[in-house]
Amino acid sequence: MAIPFGSVAWAEALSAEINCSSEYRNAAARWGDGFNGNVLLVFDADTAMPRRAVLFVELARGACGGASFVDDPSDARAGFALRGPFSVWKDILDRKTLAATAILTGRLKIEGDRMTLLKHTAAHRALIACAAAIETDYPA
Amino acid sequence: MDPLYAPLAAAVEGVVSTPDQLTAEHLTNYGRIFHWTPRFVVRPRSAADVVALVGFARTHRLSLTTRGMAHSQSQLAINRDGILVDMTSMDGIGAVDTQALTVDVEAGVVWRDLVHHLKRFDLVPRVLTNNLGVTVGGTLAMAGIGVASFKHGSQGDNVVEMDVVTGDGKISTCSPSASPELFWGAIAGLGAFGVITRARLQLRRMKAMTRTYYLLYDDLRVFLDDARMAMDSGRFDHLESWGAPCAQGTRPVGGVRQVFAKWLYPFHLTVEYDPGDEPDDAALLAGLTPYDNVYTDDAPTMDFLERMVPVFELWKKAGTWEFMHPWVECILPWETAADCIEQVLQDTPPGIQVGGHVLLWPAKGATSRSRNFMRPEGENLVGFGLLPAVPQKFWDDVKERFANVSRLMLAFGAKRYLSGWIDFTPDDWKEHFGARWDELTVLKRRFDPDGVLNPGFLPFEAPRGAPASRP
Repeated sequence: MAIPFGSVAWAEALSAEINCSSEYRNAAARWGDGFNGNVLLVFDADTAMPRRAVLFVELARGACGGASFVDDPSDARAGFALRGPFSVWKDILDRKTLAATAILTGRLKIEGDRMTLLKHTAAHRALIACAAAIETDYPA
Repeated sequence: MDPLYAPLAAAVEGVVSTPDQLTAEHLTNYGRIFHWTPRFVVRPRSAADVVALVGFARTHRLSLTTRGMAHSQSQLAINRDGILVDMTSMDGIGAVDTQALTVDVEAGVVWRDLVHHLKRFDLVPRVLTNNLGVTVGGTLAMAGIGVASFKHGSQGDNVVEMDVVTGDGKISTCSPSASPELFWGAIAGLGAFGVITRARLQLRRMKAMTRTYYLLYDDLRVFLDDARMAMDSGRFDHLESWGAPCAQGTRPVGGVRQVFAKWLYPFHLTVEYDPGDEPDDAALLAGLTPYDNVYTDDAPTMDFLERMVPVFELWKKAGTWEFMHPWVECILPWETAADCIEQVLQDTPPGIQVGGHVLLWPAKGATSRSRNFMRPEGENLVGFGLLPAVPQKFWDDVKERFANVSRLMLAFGAKRYLSGWIDFTPDDWKEHFGARWDELTVLKRRFDPDGVLNPGFLPFEAPRGAPASRP
């Protein structure tokens, strides 16, 4: 059954998906090791979604300590943020666009140390794959 | 009959062909990504023919594209609706000066033919590309790098002087000291400013034999440390290395299972020697820390120079030579090289070895004076390239991934090597050339005022009335 995007249940489903993903566990084994690996995914409002959504994900060494939608798009607990219009995110989660393409072409903006992020491309891809794996009910 | 055929044929001594006489080869290059049909193909007989062709192109507002063995993979060596100049007809090898160690060659000479010609003098060009089946003019217009570049720079750095037919229809002799703007404009100039018709190349003495140590590394960073030591030691004449995949089965990548590999790094270190003066293996390898010392090969130097022939023959027999070749090659800063290479290779399936390979080449930034051969700052650099052969039917599936490899390289501070598949935006081009871009724009206006030479690759603003399509 599809889970509404932006709900507590969706965030919990993402956390569970990450923690049972061998791809994420391997790819992100060094993510957050010695630095703050917590990530904000900022889904900016656009024609496809009228309200901004901000997802905070606690990530360290291949595991997720929890995920929740928050209000602050600059939540200080995060070491990194990936920010972009919802329609861009939707294309990524629908696997129409590679997350790498969106990041490397600037359609998704990076906040945090860019070089650290670039050194862990497989970790972000695996994170996105976990999100894409959730059967989601997106805003109409 | 094309109305311009007769006047064009009358203007040159060389052979003029029309599209109905062409083979499919003339419509593309080794990349097989772009397919353009020229209005004419001309095989010039002399530099005077090239002068006449440029004049004809200007008069009739036709573009003019130069083509050697067409080993590049983007919009080079192919022409749409204009004149494709097949320079391989200008293949004369001139005087060898055994004192000054130089040779004069026409631009269409294939490096292999030159190497075999020079063997009788025990001389050889200072830098040779891995593939000897490419032309002198072609690689000089690109830069031309090989396994001795860490010592001698690019092939373009080893040119004493050249004759260049510029886009204004003049032929000039230039060198690093005489008309240096034209000389350094034409070297690695992608044919945008002039057509190289003759080059005087610097040579070196060649010893009869080579010994190559086949070392293997299982750790990229250890390999790079040893590569730097090998460069700095001055012990070796040639250095060559690869990424070699050891397939591990499948794993999910972005949620989709694909074959993946643990990457190993073969490193081949070569010295030339004369019989009776064999190298001291222990001294040469002292301080190096490979995972394995796999093999030591003694071979005539000529065989060493031709070492890639069996590989290319295999690719041809297997049919992969005819596949698409979206090669993505770059020069990385030493400081970011390991991180970039690891990120790229973790996603590179071992199947890239089918008709292709992964190249690594340690380099020294200061060995090149070329103004157009862009590379990152720094004493030590690392060349890195994914050289795949992609069946045409898979291109749409993989194009974005290769584009991202290029983007990732650039994000790590790399400069692309331009013979491969380049999918730059105009801003990417400006970023690539940096401050040099404005200089190139000035050179273009000066040496090719009508914008006839090699359009379609470098995004120069076309002058009014420049050839764009068939009139």
